[in-house]
Formats: sequence, C-alpha cells, structure tokens
Amino acid sequence: MEDIGVALRMVGVSKRYPGTLAVDDVNFDVRAGEVHALIGENGAGKSTLMMVLAGAFDDYTGQVCLGGTAVGLHSPAAAKAAGIQMIHQELSLAAPLSIAENVLAGRLPRRAGLLDRRRMLSETRRHLARVGLELDPQTPVEEISLHEAQLVEIAKALANAPCILVMDEPTSALSRAEVQRLFEIIRRLRRQGLAVVYISHHLSEVLQIADRVTVLRDGRKVATEPVAAVTAAQLVERMVGRSVSGLCARRKTAPGAEKLVVEHLSRYGFFHDVSFTVRAGEVLGIGGLSGSGRSELARSLCGIDPVDAGRVLLDGRPVRPGSYGAAIRAGLGYLTEDRKTQGLALRMSVAENVLSAVIPRHCRHGVYSPRRGGGLLARLIDRLSIQPPGPGRIVSALSGGNQQKALLAKWLAADPQVLLLDEPTRGVDVGAKVVIHQAVAELADAGRSVVLISSDLPELVALSDRIVIMRQGHLIGQLDPAEASEASVLLAANGEGKLVPA
Amino acid sequence: MSPPPPAARRTRPPAGGRVFGALNVLGVYGLVGGLFALGCAISREFISPDNLMNALRAVTLLGIVAVGLAFVTYSRHYVDLSIPGIMALSGTVAVWALKFGFVPSLAIGLAVGALVGLVNGLVIGYLRLNPIIWTLAMMSLLSGVIRWAYAGRQIYPDKATAAGRAFLELYHHRLLGLLPLPVAVLLAVAAGGYFLMRHTGYGARLKLTGSAYEVARLTGINVRRAVAGAFVISSLTSAAAGVLLTSFNKVGAVYIGGGYDFRTITAVVLGGMTLAGGRGSIVGVLGGVAAIALMNNVMSLVRVGQFVLGDFQQNIVQGAVFILVVGINSFARRRTGGDDA
Repeated sequence: MEDIGVALRMVGVSKRYPGTLAVDDVNFDVRAGEVHALIGENGAGKSTLMMVLAGAFDDYTGQVCLGGTAVGLHSPAAAKAAGIQMIHQELSLAAPLSIAENVLAGRLPRRAGLLDRRRMLSETRRHLARVGLELDPQTPVEEISLHEAQLVEIAKALANAPCILVMDEPTSALSRAEVQRLFEIIRRLRRQGLAVVYISHHLSEVLQIADRVTVLRDGRKVATEPVAAVTAAQLVERMVGRSVSGLCARRKTAPGAEKLVVEHLSRYGFFHDVSFTVRAGEVLGIGGLSGSGRSELARSLCGIDPVDAGRVLLDGRPVRPGSYGAAIRAGLGYLTEDRKTQGLALRMSVAENVLSAVIPRHCRHGVYSPRRGGGLLARLIDRLSIQPPGPGRIVSALSGGNQQKALLAKWLAADPQVLLLDEPTRGVDVGAKVVIHQAVAELADAGRSVVLISSDLPELVALSDRIVIMRQGHLIGQLDPAEASEASVLLAANGEGKLVPA
Repeated sequence: MSPPPPAARRTRPPAGGRVFGALNVLGVYGLVGGLFALGCAISREFISPDNLMNALRAVTLLGIVAVGLAFVTYSRHYVDLSIPGIMALSGTVAVWALKFGFVPSLAIGLAVGALVGLVNGLVIGYLRLNPIIWTLAMMSLLSGVIRWAYAGRQIYPDKATAAGRAFLELYHHRLLGLLPLPVAVLLAVAAGGYFLMRHTGYGARLKLTGSAYEVARLTGINVRRAVAGAFVISSLTSAAAGVLLTSFNKVGAVYIGGGYDFRTITAVVLGGMTLAGGRGSIVGVLGGVAAIALMNNVMSLVRVGQFVLGDFQQNIVQGAVFILVVGINSFARRRTGGDDA
C-alpha cells in the first residue's frame, strides 16, 4: 500500500489546435487509491486532456507531475514509461492471438531465445486473477465474450504495472450485471492503491464508482468535487450552459403532413421496437448517450443495415428494407457521422464528391456529364460558403469544417424528402457550424423533414422542433417541447428525466 | 459570417493525388520517348518500319487484355489472375464451336469467357472473396477443365471447312486490306474502354467505388454490381484476345495466354493506374503497353558479344519494373499524406 499521496498532478495544462483552445489552463489531480471521474459534454476537452496524458502531443503547455516529479509526456512511449496506461472504448486486442500473447504483448518471457511457455502461462494467470478472470490463457481472444475481453484489456494494462489507469467509457459494451462486476474490480484496484481516471457520459456510473468528479466545459475546468456532495442534476447543471455562440434558434413553423412513419422497428441487439413519425417541415431531434442505438437506428432505417422487425413508411408507402439504393430512390438520405471513412472520398474533388449521390440524374443514354450539375454545384458551394470555393479542389486539402460542408452539400444535392443527419457538426469550427445549422433550418422550411442525431446538446435543442430520447436501444419517450433544454435532454438520456409518450 | 479560412490553407498546393496522377500519365509517355531514343541509339534496325510494326504487333493482344484489366485495377481489386485461363478457354471453345459456323464460334468463345468473368464478378463482388485468391483458384480450375475436356490433347481448326479456314485467317485479316484486325480490335476496345471509364455513369460509380468503397456504398451506389462489372469487362477483353491468339497459333491449347497475367498488370500499373484504385486512365494504360513493347524490342536488339537478350531477360526486366513502379507508387502515397480512403 502506498500512502495517500497525489499520484498525478496536472497544473495549468493547455492544448491549442489551429483555431481553438481545446484545453484551457486545466488543473487536475488524482490521488493514489482514488477513482476520479472526468465528465463533460462532447467537445468539452476530456479526450484532449487525456490525450495529453497519453503523450499524444508534443506541444501542450503546463506541467504534469507524477508522484511528485515533473515529467514531459511528449510521446506515447514516454507516457507508458512514466506508468500511464489507457483503456479506450475500442479494444486493442489481437483477436486471433491467445489471451496470454495479448496480455504480455511485446514482452513475452524468454529462455535461451525461445518462448518460455510455462512462465508465459503462469504470469498471465496471475494477471487475469487480478481482474477476477479464470480463463485458460491459451484461449484465443476471439473466442471469449466482449465482457471478458474488456477485462483482459484491463489485465493487459495492469501487467505493465501502471501508477495511473485511464478508462475511457469502459462500460459502453457491457450489460448492467457486467458493469457491476467491472466496478467490483475497479474498487479492488483502488484498494491496492491504483489511481484511476474514469471518463463516462453515464452520470449514474460516475456517482456509483468515483470518489471525486471533475467537470469540464469548453476546455475549462468548471469544478472538482467529492461525489458524495453532488447529485446528477447538479452535475448536469455544471456540464451544460456552454457558450452558444451563433446558434440560430429554429423558428417554429406549423409542421405539415406526416412524412416518415417508423413502426415497431427492431434490430436485435441494437435497438428494439422503435416507433416515431416525422412531419414535413419538421426537425426531429434524437437525444441519447453514445451507444444508445441512435446511429444504428438511422442506418437500419435507410437500409444500410438489416432490420429484424417493423417497417418504415415514406409518404404512406413502405420502404424496402435492407436496400440503401431503394431507400435513396424513395427519398431518404443519410449523412454519416464519420466523414473521413464513410462520408467523403478524400482524394477526389469537391465536385466529384458532391455530385456522387446524383450520378444517374446527370446521365443521358448512359453518358455521364457532370457539367450538367455545374449550376447546382456552384449554388451549393456558394450557399454553404465552402472554402476555397474551387469545385476541382481535392477534398483532403480542405479544413474539417469545409469537408463537413461538402458532405452536407452532397446530400443537399440529392435533395431527399427525409434527411437523416448523424452528428452533422462533429469536430467542426464555429463558422462551419453556423452555416450547417442555417442549411438544416432552410431545408426544413422548404418542407423537407430532418432527423437530427447529435451529441451536441445546444445544437440538438436549438435546431429540433421535437426531441425524442433513446436509451439502451429503446425510444423511451419525448421531451415536453416547452421544457426541452440541454439539462432536460441530458437527464432524460441518463434515465432520470420527465418524458411524455412519443 | 463565417470567419475567413486561414491564409495558409489557401496557399497550400493542390493535393498530391492529382499531381501524381498527371505525372504518372506524363511519366509513362516520357518513358516511351526515352526507350524510343534508346532504341534509335542502339541499333539502326530499330527505327525500320518492319521492326516497329513487329514491336506493335507483339503487344496488340497485351493491349486488348490490359484495357479490360484496367477496370479491375481501377475498382481497387488489384488483378484478375484468371486471365490466361480465360484466354485459353475462349480460344479452345471457339475452335470446338467451329462446327456451328464461323460467327457462332466467335460468339460462343466470347460468351464462355464472359461467363467466367460473371462468376468471378459474382463471387468477388457479391460474396466479397479476396480477388487474388479467388482468381488464382479460378485459373487453376480453368486449366484443369481444359486439360480434362480434351484429355490433354490440343485441338486444331479443321482446314477442310470454310469456318476453319476463316478462323485461321482471322488474326491475319486486314480491314480494307490495310489495318490488321487485332490492331483494329485494340483501337475499338481502347476507345470503348476510355469512353466507359471516363464518360459514363458506370465509370463515375466505379471511380468512387475504387477510391473509397465504403463511401460509395454509403452514397447508395451499388458497389457490388460495379465490381462485378469490372470483372466481366476484364473477362471479355481476355476472351477476345484469347480467340485472336488461338487463331495466330493455329491451335487451341491450355498454354495459350500464359504470362499474360503478369505482363498485363505490369502494363496497367506502369501506365499510372495504381493498385490503390480510382486513379489513372486508359490513355495511361496504353502508354504502359507501348513502354513494354519498346522495352522488349530494345532488349531483343541488344547484343552483348555473342549473347542475345531473350525471353528470360525480358521476364527479369519486367519483374523488376513492376516492383519498381509499385514501390514508387506506394512510397509517393505515403509521402503525400497516406492513402486516405
């Protein structure tokens, strides 16, 4: 057992990205034998702060002390050597390899140049025991459950004898019972004197497992408090109230006829029995935590992923499930949350990307002339003020915000009856955000329907006419429009809000 | 009221992809020019019309096959290794089908080749099997089928029939008594391939599919059909070349088309169509074919003492060129910021 000293102290840490100060003069400390939760909305600076700790940047400012000595964390190797281990949301295990090979990756025991098999197995068993696993170390990782893999990941981190363990949303793939088992293990590690940083959107978990909690907002620290002294509502209050620079509140028009009707849609294991309607000229917001099944719902809804039960009607006509092409022809469109790998062909031009969803429209007798789309293209570039405005620009040379505008332009060009937007402003600057918000509002004013999935709460509240909440794969209800606010969305997403039936 | 973009972004040079694309097409014609100059310097024989015509004839069929294969490479599915098998099968089946008449025999030969391409396309496009592994297996399967069907014998067109004579005459036929038929086929295939890749909806969809498969899928493009189509196109050009080569060899046999797999992919990547997909053009591919023609021709003219450079040396040089080009390409991609979708 170590004394109750401070294991990690970050003093005045800042990290600047071009155009934004992602982490602004943050003080943060963790004691040995403590679980310190770090919470905040998307973009509040949690992950950037932890990336500083992981050695991802060589240009942060401020001071980091580990166990009382100042260290420079300018590379991932330096961070590891200093005793900092990260466990990310996505597991980093090699599926075909055995548990033992994963846990001891990079430092398998050797004897006379050959693998010391017996020591490898016994060492792995010892590490697995620390996280309460009794698996055969020779089992390939692909044969164990996700929950077990999560624990193996922790065992792997612990095998490096860290003094700080950072866990980023470790429960996103776990069931409720498995979460409790994980918490047992975290408590045991705490008793052994480990310092744990716990990042989560789930406030109930934070209140259950953490000793202290630090709230970040807009890159700044808002408060650090003992968990015993705060409630979920108080935490929400501290998290929200982000600067809402330039957010245009939607003027509330009278919505038209029912456009999109979703009836009892299910994809087992992802979302269950989801029903809602969207009217013409309406923006329907879907709130919820990451992992609540919102993106999966959108992808199944427009036929990218399969559907197990239920149906989707557009203008009263059923949309053929499982065929994205048919859904697009019927008048649906889906703007993906991941613009770099799913949204834009980065090494093609703006023109080619924007017109890619409407190739058939510019074909006559099989001859494709993108020039026919030139007017449309010029209008979209102008309307979204894509910079630089050249349609021949390769997309990868554009800034993130302008890439996102180009992605939106692609779907505006397709002009769907119902556009599903999945995190339409993730990682973009304020200027691009304003332009995108205006375009969404104009789209609805033109009588189109919009389904907005966003973890950016001010955006969700400002743009949506109505907000429904998804939690753990179920659509649990609708927020009373009169009471829709960042705080009410966040509370509802954590299962603590007041809802009316959707 | 969006803030002006940072000045640095505006002065940034246009992205690497386009520059390298242009360099590749220009580059291969630069190489063609260089080889031409080298040929002139080495031997007086080189510049003679006969020699140049020989050089051209030697790669006419290669050009036909390369135009089709280019679609597979463009779709980011690397290569169709069953090309020699398709060539042998189409030629052999065409000879067998001569009993139905000359034109039906050609049609059947092409159809059988296209059928193999369709199977390749369905398996690779729809079942998403690895294209290299699958077409390698298909190659083995095809050569087995041909050997088995003809019990290892070769089959000859029957000179006693009009159809047989027409078939043997096919390769040597000259349109209007002037343009050799294989060259005419190459010109037609190249023009058709250029148009299809550059000016049709299919070409645009294939480019997006080859550049970024997942993006194309999430744009609503039928990526499976696009990929399957590329393999059908590749099999059609291989079948046409196979029939012509069989006519030239006067025999249908399993070994027809041997070596065409590697030589065509060399021509395709030499012509600036990178294995990363979605880049390059048919014009470049023709340049790649021309470069191979001149490379082989120049080598055949070089005499080191008593020693004449032959097939073996040409193989070595082609292998080295392929490795060099692919190596430079991937190096350049990494330098220009990685192959970003």
